[in-house]
Amino acid sequence: MKSLNFARIALGAYLLIFFSYLLGPLVVMSMTAFNSASFPSVSPWACFTFEWYEVLWNDTAIRDGIYYSVIIGLGTVALSVSMGLAASIVLTQVWPRIRSTYYTLIIAPILVPGVVLGISTLVFWDRLGTFLGASDGSAVYSLFHNGIFLTILGQSAFIASYCMLVFVARLQRFDPGLTEAALDLGATHTQAFRKILLPFMRPAIASAAVLAFLASFENYNTTTFTIVKYKTLTTVLAQKVRLGINPSISSLAFIIILLTIFGALVFEAVARNKARKEQIKLGRTEEKKGGILPAFMQGNPAAFGFVLLSFIVIVMVGTAQKYDPSQCKIDVREAKKAEAAARMKELREQRLIQDQSDARQGPDIFGAPKTEPEAGQGSGTGAFGNVFDPGNLSDEKAPKSGTGAFGGVFDPTNLDETAPSE
Amino acid sequence: MKKKMIFSEFFRNNGIVMGSLLFGLVSFWLIFLVILPQISMLDFSFRYNLPPAEQGGPKDVYTLSNYEHLLYGSDSTHQTYNTVDLMVFVRTIIAAMFVTVFNILLCYPMAYFLGQSRGSGFVRLLVVLLIIPYWINEILRAFALKIIFGDSGLLNEVLMFLHLTPQPIDFIRADIALYAGLGYAYILLMLFPMYNVIESLDRNQIEAARDMGASWIRIHRRIVIPHAKPGIASGSTMVFMLSAGALAAPQILGGPSSLWFTQLVYQWFNDSLNWQQGAAYAIVLLISTISIVLVMMKIFRVNMGDIGK
Amino acid sequence: MTTGVAVDLENVWITFGDFVAVREANVHINGGDFFSFLGPSGCGKTTILRAVSGFLDPSQGNILIGGNNMAGIGPNKRPTALIFQNLALFPLMKIWENISFSMEVAGASAAERRKRADELLDMIALDGQGDKLPSELSGGQKQRVAIARALCANPDVLLLDEPLSALDLKLRQHMRTELREIQQRVGITFIYITHDQGEALTMSDNVAVMKAGIIDQIDTGHTIYDSPSTPFVASFVGENNVFRGKIKEIKGEQALVSTNRSGDLLARITPTQLGKMNVGDDAMMFIRPEALALGKADAASHTTITANVVNEEFEGNVFSVFLEGGGGKSIKMATPNLGQAKISTTGKDLSLHYDANNAVVMPTGELASE
Repeated sequence: MKSLNFARIALGAYLLIFFSYLLGPLVVMSMTAFNSASFPSVSPWACFTFEWYEVLWNDTAIRDGIYYSVIIGLGTVALSVSMGLAASIVLTQVWPRIRSTYYTLIIAPILVPGVVLGISTLVFWDRLGTFLGASDGSAVYSLFHNGIFLTILGQSAFIASYCMLVFVARLQRFDPGLTEAALDLGATHTQAFRKILLPFMRPAIASAAVLAFLASFENYNTTTFTIVKYKTLTTVLAQKVRLGINPSISSLAFIIILLTIFGALVFEAVARNKARKEQIKLGRTEEKKGGILPAFMQGNPAAFGFVLLSFIVIVMVGTAQKYDPSQCKIDVREAKKAEAAARMKELREQRLIQDQSDARQGPDIFGAPKTEPEAGQGSGTGAFGNVFDPGNLSDEKAPKSGTGAFGGVFDPTNLDETAPSE
Repeated sequence: MKKKMIFSEFFRNNGIVMGSLLFGLVSFWLIFLVILPQISMLDFSFRYNLPPAEQGGPKDVYTLSNYEHLLYGSDSTHQTYNTVDLMVFVRTIIAAMFVTVFNILLCYPMAYFLGQSRGSGFVRLLVVLLIIPYWINEILRAFALKIIFGDSGLLNEVLMFLHLTPQPIDFIRADIALYAGLGYAYILLMLFPMYNVIESLDRNQIEAARDMGASWIRIHRRIVIPHAKPGIASGSTMVFMLSAGALAAPQILGGPSSLWFTQLVYQWFNDSLNWQQGAAYAIVLLISTISIVLVMMKIFRVNMGDIGK
Repeated sequence: MTTGVAVDLENVWITFGDFVAVREANVHINGGDFFSFLGPSGCGKTTILRAVSGFLDPSQGNILIGGNNMAGIGPNKRPTALIFQNLALFPLMKIWENISFSMEVAGASAAERRKRADELLDMIALDGQGDKLPSELSGGQKQRVAIARALCANPDVLLLDEPLSALDLKLRQHMRTELREIQQRVGITFIYITHDQGEALTMSDNVAVMKAGIIDQIDTGHTIYDSPSTPFVASFVGENNVFRGKIKEIKGEQALVSTNRSGDLLARITPTQLGKMNVGDDAMMFIRPEALALGKADAASHTTITANVVNEEFEGNVFSVFLEGGGGKSIKMATPNLGQAKISTTGKDLSLHYDANNAVVMPTGELASE
């Protein structure tokens, strides 16, 4: 009995750790989207604000990035779904002896590092363009050096493998006799494909398309090489994150998280509703009537959650229209100013004392006063002090806020202006 | 003769139009998107970085210099090794292995728990919760960890608040943030293949073993793990390849003094504009990671067909 | 009523690598015939059907439908319609869409298709069910839909690949009658594949019995049952008692066989072997269980067998008595149930009599394994 309890506690602790590791960062990031501090943080909580959403909305780089990501996503879906479908159909027919070689070939792109795929795509089409004798400015040249075109090809190279896996799973349940029956009834091969196999594959095509679009949308490793002069959302984000950013990125993340939860809830709700209807049809469950909840939410927590979440979002958006944190921000700024003034004063006093002691003891501990002011600045800026952490690859250092340690720090547009232009 | 028969049979089974379409799509994919680009990159890696005017000229000959650079750096006498780049390479491979093992250990209990508890509402909820981070952009996930691990990040604030540390710990310089980020980025690619295979394990097998007096350790060693092997192999392969080939997480979470091998490739391409050198490094990365996976598959007796299940 | 279209297989061989699935098949099927290929699984009968419908090409030889050589003509261009073993109804289409699929691919309007589908639904007594999905129908209903779908294409030849095998016994017997009726109504050629001799005998005008890629005999069901041409046909179609021995004497159409266990027995030489058998040849003699009747031992008539009763089974319509022959092999005798309480006593000898015309003798050959 005792060991069972211990096992339960251990399991609970493990689940807690696992899910904190998985979800904790997302929760923290979402919270930073509502903190008025100019670097994404939660711990020195300044003011609750919606301003980062406005900043996000006005960020043209992100908007352009989303635009190109969607175009590339749609292109990748079209190309990789059709290639994946063709590859999976061929897999069902391929000569048994070359079957495993063929499978290795069509699964391999998943295992090839994205960086390698990006580079090889870039190199190959560049050289193909040269080989075809295309000079700068010709149509072939501009196509083969077009970031959108290259990115679609580079991404499709491996996303088609993901699609293929989805299709193979579905095709295993297809009865090839159906195609034969259609042919026997006079259908051409194209008709048999369109009227028999394609409708059967439709659910798999839908999920492969969603998968392909998401994989394309969030791809970085391949895209960063093939995109050339354009920017997708992901490459814009990567640049912003590397160079130091304001919490508008958090607000974007929060929107994406919300959309994901919405998607998951809708999917779950629809699946449950379908399962319940099936049960009702088979007479295993009674159709409940006259409850407080509308029929589609009966026994369907996902649908209930969906409605609840929609309600919360609507309330939040409504609040955002009215809510004004400016008073709070003024207070915080005043508090910070006072704190900083106190700190400065303290420092000055310290330095005075130290200068005196230095004068007495000689110059051997000269290092101390030199570092002090920096530390002072660090603590004064608090929340955003490490935006410009050198721990990234950036060759350019983000410019420090020109207006001094505190002034204008809380004005996000200010920071945006000073952020490196791309 | 035999080949011809296969082709004619293929077109007979699919019709000329559909057959050509299927054949064309698959060929386009494999030849133009996979095989030729790789060959092209391989070829490129054996060439000098020449200005456009000299390309195709007398100086455009094959060379091993790009590979020699990885070994010896710019030292043309080959006296000293290029320890910086070689260290980056070795560190990348070892760290990717470490991340893989870390993920196996972290995910196995979860996969077992999810796979063997009958589909209750709670488990369904957990699975939905697991899927959510999966759809969040890789960059944003790295960013989320950066918020936590930064100097003034949440973790340091908490530690300092609890007086566990007097000064902020530089998690980023210590690469802790990077390893946590890599483990975080691909954790679900380890979990789901494992979960899928463990779910297909008949509960009766475990009960039968328990009935015969097997200890929990033995049950896992003799029944669950052998059954889950294809899933573990599939997950490990994905996590290893993706970690070794990761670019975003090292760029965002990596320390200033330690680079990831893909970052070198990136620098050769985008900063130094030496594509040939970058291609050579990419080839080294590709071949070494694939070889490691193949050797591991041989050691653990896993088939290629298990990957992707 | 149409007169139907003849189907001919001329010296057809079908091989897969080294495996010969069909060996030298020569078959003529009359127009309007209900023709069955009967054989155990793996005998090549489905291969023949797939070759006729165009899903595979014979390695050698020709297939003619209505006198036209079908070489190089795909399944969608042949005047055949195939009913698949699992029916292959399109699961995502409604019943009427399933039935009129052949018209859909030919470009007929929805109204035309619906009209024709409703006519056919009437014919198969499923009127008003056109808007259901296949999954909502019972096994027998699906069966009839598959037939209607095939007939909708107005084929000259309807090919049926064991379509009744998935049904339960009662429904199967009912569908036999129904299939035969439909065939007589539409008057087109039916080619039917089965391993069930009951189906083949009840429905067919002619039956081809196949074994391991070889067609042993083509005849009417009656002839095949009464005058099998090979030991395989004799033992595969219906039940038979086999007696091995040597030909002792030939008297016109009859031969006296000296059997290993039951002495000399008289039997009719099977028609295909008339004049081909000689005294001293190894031979097999077959007597059906129902041809045996209780009688008096009379060695001189050469048409009686005496054996020890091992077991008696009551099967409702018949009594089956199993007897121990001299060679240790059991002999089965079947007698209709006419109200007797019992036929025999276990352990006692029983004398059985038969008419020499109901026993056939032929050269030794392979038997159908049970």
